[in-house]
Amino acid sequence: MTNNQTLKAYLLLLPGLLPIIAFMSLVVGMAVSQSIGFFNFSGADQFSIQSWREILSQDQFWRAFLYSARTATLSAILSVLLAYPIALWLRRPFPGSDLISAMIKAPILVHGLVAAFLFVNFISFQGFLNVALVNLGFTASPMRMQNDTYAIGVVILQVWKNMPFAFLIIVGSVRAIGDDILDAARGLGAGWLARLRRIILPLTLRSLQAALVLIFIVAAGDYSFQAVAGPTSVNSLAQFMVRTQADNGANGWNEAAVVAVMLMGLSLFGSLIVAGLTQLAVRRMRR
Amino acid sequence: MHGITSSRTVWYRRLSIGLALAVFFFALALPFALAVLWSLVDPAHPWAYPAVLPPVLSLRRWLEVWTTSALPQALYNSYMLAACVSIATLLLASSAAYALGRMEFVGKSIIHLLTLVPLIIPNFISAIFFSALLIELDVYSRFLGVLIGHTVSLLPYAIRLMTVSFAMVRQDLIDAARDLGASPLTVFRTAYLPVIKPGLLAALIIVFILSIEEFAISYIVGAPDFITVPTILYSYLGYNFIRPNAAAVSLILVVPNVVLMLIAERLLRSADPAIVTGKG
Repeated sequence: MTNNQTLKAYLLLLPGLLPIIAFMSLVVGMAVSQSIGFFNFSGADQFSIQSWREILSQDQFWRAFLYSARTATLSAILSVLLAYPIALWLRRPFPGSDLISAMIKAPILVHGLVAAFLFVNFISFQGFLNVALVNLGFTASPMRMQNDTYAIGVVILQVWKNMPFAFLIIVGSVRAIGDDILDAARGLGAGWLARLRRIILPLTLRSLQAALVLIFIVAAGDYSFQAVAGPTSVNSLAQFMVRTQADNGANGWNEAAVVAVMLMGLSLFGSLIVAGLTQLAVRRMRR
Repeated sequence: MHGITSSRTVWYRRLSIGLALAVFFFALALPFALAVLWSLVDPAHPWAYPAVLPPVLSLRRWLEVWTTSALPQALYNSYMLAACVSIATLLLASSAAYALGRMEFVGKSIIHLLTLVPLIIPNFISAIFFSALLIELDVYSRFLGVLIGHTVSLLPYAIRLMTVSFAMVRQDLIDAARDLGASPLTVFRTAYLPVIKPGLLAALIIVFILSIEEFAISYIVGAPDFITVPTILYSYLGYNFIRPNAAAVSLILVVPNVVLMLIAERLLRSADPAIVTGKG
């Protein structure tokens, strides 16, 4: 590897990499700067933590923060918990396994807003589920399930949409585990639970963590599912950020920037905590 | 004993496949069938509780959505934008994908990670503060704003897909073409192009689909003048929830994209150097 070749590689990387680095640093830089009073659309550009004080003293913000943290954690854990046994089941191909794989991956092709519409349409007051429940005699009249207070609908949608991603990430690492290792463990008397705890889980830990981190970030930044199917009494952080920017005039930019920085913090630290706790749990199980 | 175990395994698999089919039916097939039915509800005969099926089916709702809403304009905007985004993305991604797929250099793994940065920043943060940046720079063209936003946020997909394609090109084929005195253009045409073509087309299609589906940047940066199909769908799902219209727009958004994605998947599956070059 000569210096010349390295320089050539870097020059070739520029057209693709430069727009990404420039765009993302400008966008993140803009959010951070606006949160501390710079690029101010409503007054002089000067350092100020007024917007931070304003946002952090609002109950609505903290409700949105905890709501996003909770739904993201639940969605990530449930998606992985569902995807993992399916990935183990489909580890070795068998007649029909390709069909099942294709069916699991199908939700990836469905747009988030369309998924939210299909779900709302299914559970709405005069939707299929209510008509079926009434006609089968389970309930006397239709129930109100849409925009439920506990955000069960949002979590179902997140799991529905993100479980295929978790499956795709995990199935590769599960398939990569050699039969010889598992056969050796079986030969030494390890039952299926011991093999799962001491071999399969530790060897697939990285992909488990990758799936958890990815889904946590996507779910924490959710806007569409929350806006269409989420509870009306609370906002997600992304929804609160959009609302803050739109409703508060020129000041809205600075306050929305504070929410954006907190959302990025939640995505980064929340996903790292979830991944770290998973590592801890897998290590404990291994003992 | 072995016979009993294997027949039990077969039954267990059949049962599992049946269960998977049932889940698929309730989670995807049935909701889509209901969307099709809702899009066909005749406007003069509403489908209301407790009717299990719509009283009258017709295509009048589709005609109504087409003629009275901004859907034709949104479709034009979405597809025009997606075509521009896929070409721009491919032009920008090609050389980076070549470097990542075929060259060794210091910091390669870090650069791999850097190309994925747009995927880890929540879409609405990129959208809002990109629009703040456009205001700061006095750029008021909605189309240009959305084009730049989509291109940058979809670059990771194009770079990743094309890196894999470039990495699959066989060095012995390139060397053979060079040894026979082929010009750089001929080397590209004979050694590279047959292998990277499926990946290139797949990247083009996937970026095209993702641009049509992108909502955050189109909604925030494009508003209020530049309407796309997802922003129209969102308007039907908001405070004025118009279910039959939402059903029709949902199908318009999903069906062409599913067909395109299936083509992309086929192309990616065919991107095997052994098939293209005839060598194992």
